[in-house]
Amino acid sequence: MQPRATGARAFQPRPVTIVLAVLALPLVVAGLSVDAHLRRARAERGQPVTDAVAVRLPSPDMALFGGARWLRAPTLEEPGAAFADGPGAVDPDPAGGLVAPPKAIWAHVKGAR
Amino acid sequence: MKVMPLIGYALRGLARRKAKATVLILGLASGVALLAAVLFMTDALRAQADRLRMAMPDIVVQKLVAGRPSTLPRAFTSKITPIPAVRAVRPRVWGYLFLPALQGNVTVVGVPNGVRPLQQVQGTLGQGRDLVPGAHEMVAGATLAQALGLLEGDTLGLPSLGGTAVPLTFVGAFSSSVDLYTADVVLCDEADARVLLGMGPDEATDFAVDLTNPAESSVIAQTIAEGTPGLRVLEREPLARIHSLTYGRRSGLFFVGAIPAILALLLLMSDRASGLSREERREVSVLKAIGWSTEEVLYTKVFEAALTGSIATALGLFIAYGWVFWLGAIGLRATLAGWSSVYPDLALVPAVDPAQLLAIAGAVLLPYVGLCVVPSWRAAAADPVAVMRGE
Repeated sequence: MQPRATGARAFQPRPVTIVLAVLALPLVVAGLSVDAHLRRARAERGQPVTDAVAVRLPSPDMALFGGARWLRAPTLEEPGAAFADGPGAVDPDPAGGLVAPPKAIWAHVKGAR
Repeated sequence: MKVMPLIGYALRGLARRKAKATVLILGLASGVALLAAVLFMTDALRAQADRLRMAMPDIVVQKLVAGRPSTLPRAFTSKITPIPAVRAVRPRVWGYLFLPALQGNVTVVGVPNGVRPLQQVQGTLGQGRDLVPGAHEMVAGATLAQALGLLEGDTLGLPSLGGTAVPLTFVGAFSSSVDLYTADVVLCDEADARVLLGMGPDEATDFAVDLTNPAESSVIAQTIAEGTPGLRVLEREPLARIHSLTYGRRSGLFFVGAIPAILALLLLMSDRASGLSREERREVSVLKAIGWSTEEVLYTKVFEAALTGSIATALGLFIAYGWVFWLGAIGLRATLAGWSSVYPDLALVPAVDPAQLLAIAGAVLLPYVGLCVVPSWRAAAADPVAVMRGE
């Protein structure tokens, strides 16, 4: 038994509306996953081109922050460079972001030491 | 208990309170969109850097003078070459050159003799051809060529120490597909690079060391560092850590800046937690009075919250994805991906997978729905007559 609608004509959702409302999130997740997968596949097809260029470049850094040398190539330049003061040294600034680096990287460094 | 009629009733409830539901969905969606966009972009940047990392040398050796990177004598290669497991040591010539015309740095990279021509792999060059050694030619990034207005055959006099560099002829530009890495790069003959960067014939910027067994890189790195004091040895594998730190730091800073938005999100959630409105409590009482069970009322309210939350999360995820990967992260790009006078076309490849999307959805939906259970149960369990009398 349901309460009688009063005033203006009550909204009566059709079954398809109900299904769409319930499936909105799974549909979006599936759709975005498929799009991401297709874009990754396209990028992988272009990987030989990236590899051919990579051997000519000094570092794997992207040309995003060219304003200062350490920003252009943070992997090779101070203060970001790995092992600034010795191979296997633990980075003195391991924090820095709410999004932490993958723990596996530290496991690797620990193993190396 | 029939679920579909209850979901239908929950949808009707949302339609009755259209304004409130719309504001709730839009508020929640914008919070989700902001947080998800930062995560999507950070992961995409990290994955993009990883894509090039595997093509890098196993070890890079630099020299430190007064604690700062300096050039290396090429003769140092003789100290590294004899180490077992070292396959090759390649002295590299590269560095940065400030171009007053652009008010920014370009990365000058010297190409040694005998390397594989770029045009052997189709798609590396967007226009023109690779440079010919000794011909004073250059290949530039597509963005740089565009910024300088270079056309094939143009000559460019780059600033050098004492103005001794020969102008270089622009013969080709990298493909736009690798612009993210090459936007500010000038490839030229190694001899030209030395003149431009003010380096002597026996100097190198660093050594690239290739190993027969990359798994031994830590041991070899240690051996090189101990054998020659004053060297800094960088391994390839831990480079991922640097990118994680760089982009992690930036996304962390962004999250700090986005605290008001996160607070707004919490406010929306606490609105659900603090209880139902008077109108909603009356509605629950009416339902109870006409014969609905407590369980049915509770399920209806949970479905209402779940529908609101899932529609808002779906909308938020969709907006975040479109913002970052379809619209080029307008407004977010400068914060997370930096800026410079020579800036590449930032076409990021998504690193998003269903697990990450579901994790974001779960992190928003579960607390949101969970928070509405207690007040809904309290309202459903209350005496309907007392509620209708306003007691």
